[in-house]
Amino acid sequence: MTSRPFDRRALLTGFGALGGLALVSSRAHGAVRLFSSELDPREPAPHMLLLVQLSGGNDGLSTVVPYADDAYRAARPTLGFAKQDVLVLDDYKGLHGELEGVRKLLDARKLAIVEGVGYPNPIRSHFKSYEVWHTADPRGRAAGQGWIGKLGDVAWRDVQDPNLVVHVGANVPYSLESAAHPPAAFVNPASYRWAGEKEDVDAYGKMGDSEGKAESNLEFLRRKVADSQASSQKIRSAVARYRTDVEYPDEPFGAALRDVAALANGGIGTRVLSVELTGFDTHTGQRARHDNLMKQLDRGLTALAADLERSEAGKNVVGLVFSEFGRRVKENGSRGTDHGVAAPCFVFGASVKGGLYGKHPSLTALDAGDVAHTTDFRSVYATLIERWMGADSSRVLGQKYPTLGFLG
Amino acid sequence: MGIRASTLLLFVALAAVAIANEPTRPISGSNSGSNSHSAVERPATGRDATSIEWNARNAEHLLNRAGFGARPAEIAAAVNVGHAAFVEQLLTGFRPDYEPFFVERIERPDRDELQAMGEAERREFLNQVQRDNRRQLAQFAGWWVDQMLESHHPLRERMTLFWHGYFTSSARDVRSSAAMIEQNELFRTRGLGKFGELLRAIVRDPAMLEYLDNNQNRKGNPNENFAREVMELFTLGEGHYTEADIKEAARALTGWVTRRGEAAYVKGRHDNGKKTILGVTKNFDADSFLALLLEQPACPQWLAKKLLVHFEGRTPSPARIDDYASFLKSNDYDVRAFLRRLFLDPAFYSDDVVAARIASPIDYLVGTSRRLSVEPPPALLWLAAGQLGERLFEPPSVKGWDGGQAWITTSTLMQRGNMAGMLLGVVKLEDVLRPEVLDEEPEPGDMSGEMTGEMTGDEAGGDEMSGDDGESRRAPRAKPDAKPAKKKPATPALKGEYGQMGRMLADAYIPAIHLSARLQRAQATNDHAAVDALADELLPVALTPESRAELVRFLASEREALGIEEAQLCKSGRDGERLLRRLAHLILSLPEAQLS
Repeated sequence: MTSRPFDRRALLTGFGALGGLALVSSRAHGAVRLFSSELDPREPAPHMLLLVQLSGGNDGLSTVVPYADDAYRAARPTLGFAKQDVLVLDDYKGLHGELEGVRKLLDARKLAIVEGVGYPNPIRSHFKSYEVWHTADPRGRAAGQGWIGKLGDVAWRDVQDPNLVVHVGANVPYSLESAAHPPAAFVNPASYRWAGEKEDVDAYGKMGDSEGKAESNLEFLRRKVADSQASSQKIRSAVARYRTDVEYPDEPFGAALRDVAALANGGIGTRVLSVELTGFDTHTGQRARHDNLMKQLDRGLTALAADLERSEAGKNVVGLVFSEFGRRVKENGSRGTDHGVAAPCFVFGASVKGGLYGKHPSLTALDAGDVAHTTDFRSVYATLIERWMGADSSRVLGQKYPTLGFLG
Repeated sequence: MGIRASTLLLFVALAAVAIANEPTRPISGSNSGSNSHSAVERPATGRDATSIEWNARNAEHLLNRAGFGARPAEIAAAVNVGHAAFVEQLLTGFRPDYEPFFVERIERPDRDELQAMGEAERREFLNQVQRDNRRQLAQFAGWWVDQMLESHHPLRERMTLFWHGYFTSSARDVRSSAAMIEQNELFRTRGLGKFGELLRAIVRDPAMLEYLDNNQNRKGNPNENFAREVMELFTLGEGHYTEADIKEAARALTGWVTRRGEAAYVKGRHDNGKKTILGVTKNFDADSFLALLLEQPACPQWLAKKLLVHFEGRTPSPARIDDYASFLKSNDYDVRAFLRRLFLDPAFYSDDVVAARIASPIDYLVGTSRRLSVEPPPALLWLAAGQLGERLFEPPSVKGWDGGQAWITTSTLMQRGNMAGMLLGVVKLEDVLRPEVLDEEPEPGDMSGEMTGEMTGDEAGGDEMSGDDGESRRAPRAKPDAKPAKKKPATPALKGEYGQMGRMLADAYIPAIHLSARLQRAQATNDHAAVDALADELLPVALTPESRAELVRFLASEREALGIEEAQLCKSGRDGERLLRRLAHLILSLPEAQLS
């Protein structure tokens, strides 16, 4: 077989490229110092964002339950909750009965619920609706990289750190896709390594290219080899070092959140973290499945919130809990619900101004059987971008969206 | 308690049918060019069928894409047969008959039987049914991977995999392993036939009916799940129908259910009223609804694009989609004809396509095993592919696997190298899961990184199907409240899925590789030649100059450290062989090794 020439490395040895390298590494050095445990007290501690994706379409009406609404009870003859089943918030609505920890966070004003979050011309395909949420653009992937990628272009520009954006889990959401700041990802920190003798590991480390522009698959892979080497040792070490007396639930979601806390406290330069809880596509037999998911969500978030409270770094994390859509108001013939539109989001963290935001959607003014959204999800993003990540939201989202009051 | 209910042995005797349906074509042994044949197969598109040179590069490319990688001898044989004749061999299979898998139908007790049991007995019984199903599916997964490794009809297995990701069903939702296996057999026997027939079979497929909730879709109480995915993912793609079309289509699909594991049409559940779908109003049933979809211009476009993306690994141009879509349309959606045309198309062998696709985990693991000529337990590769993000029978969603760059994360990329190292015998599972040794002494009361002596997640008794999404979390984890380590922490015992893999590696696998002999045969007597010879055998694509330079540097330096003369590398016994395997491990971990 004949070799195809790849001479980018040769080009990079030119003077200009060397200058670029020096510049990048000095910035990276600055970033390392900024994020290290020996933080300069004069520098503001970096804010971190955690994305918690509830995959499959979380039933908003079983999360924040309008128990007192006649239309709700009529639409949900088998799935509907009565007042005594919910954690009452007011004389109209209450939280799902399993969300006791969430309720406590809400009462302590450390968790905000934004109601009726969605977008115009809603799409009921899981994949297309994810794309809209992940890119913050109705065109989905056709609009380019994910919204965190766009945030990175505005907020971190030339910072080169493979652990800036980390997904804990198997399926990296498109929101994190970025040419300049591609995410690191792992499922189990214990096996997050390339194993071999020391000399072999050293040689493997030279097979990558951290400056790769990732225009071809081969360049993409070279960049990933470099990133994986730089990322894995720091992440393994941060997780191994981490000590907490908070007990996380013994299930994959809990374990992932424990890793999130470890990385948030690890001083390894991470700014965005991401996890996923799957199983929300409850077309049939919704009650038991959704109850169990609410329980998992609640005990996971409760542990994480308590753990993050313990440190300054932890207090610098704000988490967003979202799903690609809610579900149809009327339950289907199989004690389940089909794909719907708007649903509530949770925002939590020590800096969050807890409480209820937005407006519960009307169950009588339906649009094709679905509630109409009352808050655009990009307003939630804009609030996080401007008031937490300190970036110009219009540069990330393409236009201004009204911000909400849950931060700043 | 064993399997209490009567079990029914189902002989999946579809193989013979499949063979009968294979068109037989004379295979010429001559090295005749591809022109004459492709000119016959092509419709009048106005394009000239330009000939390509039928050489090792192109033959290996075709074997990578139509099958699961090639051994050197297979490439030479393919070149010798000639392009058109070899494509015909691929389309019919080298040895198309196969020994089918015996499917055991593991019966679930009916409601009365369950109610007659006590609570504990019932739970035990249902757990046993679940375990039996998982075990059977694990066995079948191994059987399937074995078909890929043997490659007697690689294209048939390739298409089975393609359809598994296209008409997805997941063992997480479909409780019956027999149903999952029979769906797989459907793909195996019909996957190279007419798409319309496959589509009609899929609305009668028990696993699909269960997976997409058609058992809950009945007159007066429609469930839209199946109808939505039929239009969004199986035929048209998003944007070619409305929400109202989905609601009406769900009514057309009513009536098809599963009864005791078989598909059945229950007339009383079917909505016999008029439906308006895509502007047409009539009393649609499932087949007339599918016929309507097959007539839509979007349908051949959708399928052509899916097939082109899968086989070419790039987004096709609109013109190329149009071209192949109109071919599909005018050939009654004949998949075999489509693939013949594609495999003879010079554009399929262009530089943007050859070696430009990211290999899936199955491609990587099966291809690497074939190129190394090792025989790992097929179930090991199945588990490993699952860890790398491609768990057969458990696609991540109804959309299947995203593929392409989505296969590669910072984690899965390194795990691929680790798997290759295990196949080569230079990496042990314990090396991958080794507890972290921290650089500094832990502060008093600080996190120690000590591992507990066991892994979590094996409570279910070593289920073969873990239900994990990709890489397992069922591995040792640092216990949060562990006491500080006094010494280097002990490597934990391997349990769960890692444990299964460890046992297979230890008990059922020997890396019977002799790289020194291969290099001697290749007359590689210096470091450059050794790197080139190994890369040529082990990589599906060419080595880049950068990687080649690093590998030569590595080999020279480690060879010197071991005191081996350059010319003696192939004759240095165990030390030399081990060094060559470490070199092979690096080669298989290269960016280039992830392409195929």
